Amino acid sequence: MRKQVLAALAAGVALALASQTAPAAEKLKIGFLPGVVDPFYQVMQLGVERAAKDFGVDVVTQIPPTWGVEAETPLLDAMVARGDLNYIITAPVDKDQMIGPLKSAVDHGIKVITVDTYLGDGDYVKGPVKFPLSYIGSDNVEGGRIAARGLAKAIGGKGTVYINSTNPNVSSVEGRAVGFKEVMAKEFPDIKVIGPDFNLDDPNKASQQTAAALAREPNLAGVFGTNVFSAQGAGTAVVNAGLGGHIQVVAYDATQLAIELMDKGVVTLVLAQKPFDMGYLAVAFAVADAAGVTSLPARVETGFAIIDKNNVKDPAIARFIYKVPGK
Amino acid sequence: MTDRGSTVARPGAHGAGAGSSAQRLALLLSRMWAWLFLALMVLFFVIAVPLSTGGSVNFLTVRNSQNILVAIVPVLLLGLGQTFVLIAAGIDLSVGWVMSLASVLSALALRDSFNSGAPLPIAVLAGLAAALAGAGAIGLVNGSIIAKLKVPAFIVTLGTSFIVRGVAYLMSENSTVIGLPAGVRAYGNDALMYYITGPGGGLYFLDRPEVGGELLRRMEIIFPYPVLAAAFVVALMMFLLHKTQFGRHTYAIGGSMDAAVRSGIPVDRHLIKVYMLSAATAGVAGFLSTLRYTAGSAVIGDSLLLSSIAAVIIGGVSMFGGSGTVIGTVIGALIIAVLTTGLVMLNVDAFWQFIVVGAVVIIAVLIDQSRDLIMGKQRKGAAL
Repeated sequence: MRKQVLAALAAGVALALASQTAPAAEKLKIGFLPGVVDPFYQVMQLGVERAAKDFGVDVVTQIPPTWGVEAETPLLDAMVARGDLNYIITAPVDKDQMIGPLKSAVDHGIKVITVDTYLGDGDYVKGPVKFPLSYIGSDNVEGGRIAARGLAKAIGGKGTVYINSTNPNVSSVEGRAVGFKEVMAKEFPDIKVIGPDFNLDDPNKASQQTAAALAREPNLAGVFGTNVFSAQGAGTAVVNAGLGGHIQVVAYDATQLAIELMDKGVVTLVLAQKPFDMGYLAVAFAVADAAGVTSLPARVETGFAIIDKNNVKDPAIARFIYKVPGK
Repeated sequence: MTDRGSTVARPGAHGAGAGSSAQRLALLLSRMWAWLFLALMVLFFVIAVPLSTGGSVNFLTVRNSQNILVAIVPVLLLGLGQTFVLIAAGIDLSVGWVMSLASVLSALALRDSFNSGAPLPIAVLAGLAAALAGAGAIGLVNGSIIAKLKVPAFIVTLGTSFIVRGVAYLMSENSTVIGLPAGVRAYGNDALMYYITGPGGGLYFLDRPEVGGELLRRMEIIFPYPVLAAAFVVALMMFLLHKTQFGRHTYAIGGSMDAAVRSGIPVDRHLIKVYMLSAATAGVAGFLSTLRYTAGSAVIGDSLLLSSIAAVIIGGVSMFGGSGTVIGTVIGALIIAVLTTGLVMLNVDAFWQFIVVGAVVIIAVLIDQSRDLIMGKQRKGAAL
């Protein structure tokens, strides 16, 4: 009896000692939670993974199946609950509703970097929301201005233009519409702007909404699709109506489809953002912050490549088209 | 309308209708399989998660269990109402959009009453009232058309779901209602207890401790208010279904509409109440989501309808009516939430949850069908 007890005790002690072996070396662990499945975020993921490899950090990625707080929040909560993430890189899908859940992540010791979209007004130094480390994304208001000038030039400075957008209360597409309307109002008073309609990230809906606008607006000369799905849907509607080439489309986001439509003469201007930069820089910022850097800028504007049919073949420009290997 | 067929004892059974011990075991398993599946799944994640992360992440932590409870609230609430409807051999396809409408209505009522001077608790109550009133109205319309005009529930609730969706969009401002008073966040996110682990910590009831830094990081939020609200609704539904005449009548109508009518149950009025109940639980879900996100959203419930039906089916409610339990729906909702959370913990693409949930739903229906085969009964099913 005693031998068995001693053997059990010895086994127990051995087991306890074995489980105390040194933990794996403290590798930085970063969560990546973009907005939804689409080519823009897929290219961003390439940037994130490349930086993770270069810096030797681990990345946990989850992509919401649809755009919305009810899809993003459970994934965010589960990531926080893991307890092993040091940073979360995310594109908040609503600039007000995601403040609560992300603040909760920060309260639990995880630092947050927002990419592509921001919380509050995007000013993390003086604005109402200050807890994220940084906002890395495009200056979407400026992008909207560029799109407006491009579209105005393409339609000869007068006519009606239509904005098709995705989701309300999202900083990125909101900024684009704001910049677009601002330039049209100030610099092109002969152009009337209608919209935006919200297609909720459904290219089919974007197509229907654009078709309806085409039907009811006799003077429609141009369409501005504010992101991947809007541009896709709007471009398709124009083609289906047989108006490709007669109605000018400006597309935000350089998906392969947008470029194809440009080759066909349907889309006249494509604004490519730099999602690879956003993903890579976000990881780099996390690594720098973990190493003790305190002078990281609270806002990084990653800029655009403006693609039209004259420079689309130029490799220095074409590299910004959203291409994911194997897709 | 259908009758459940008569019991035909299998030849060679031990006595008429008693069934062999193997049959009894099979029957017991068929009733308990959802519990077993949940337990197995939890066990799987408890083992697999630390293995896949080298010990740095654990599955059964306080935080994780609280997350799961918070995550099931909308699907569970929608499922609770749906449970009653399905037991009564109907279906309510409008619940997701009723939740969205309720979210918008409660946000508008809250904001408007607060801005015209009401104190915050009154404004929150106004929000709840608006959510329930709006949802109840939809339920009344659903129930009336189904019961009085005898239009199939599938079609009626499909039609109203479109109408409700349009109304929700129109009443919101570009599909969200923002500008709610800041205190609302506390209603949607504060909790019954807070526990700060480690040195300097302690257990706090109801009063959220104002701490920062390290102490804040170690704070566990236990039983947030939405979870408590959902628990209250679950208890209420269990009482309604299993302890009142309302519940018994619901089972009777689902079991056999003809028999229910013949035994004097006011079927029409009852059906209206059942659909109002289903809409009301969706109304509560919408109200709670407005509190949680401090905004009304006309799209928040859209994707939840199918998950709520899946939860109810997995929980053992028969699609043909006449059987099912509230606790089964709770298990069904838990299975879905545990699955999603576990997959994120394992760093597996969360899309796998859809495949697993779909498979589990089909298994659930098969088990439901086989239950009668085990007992040798013939079942003539009711078409939806």
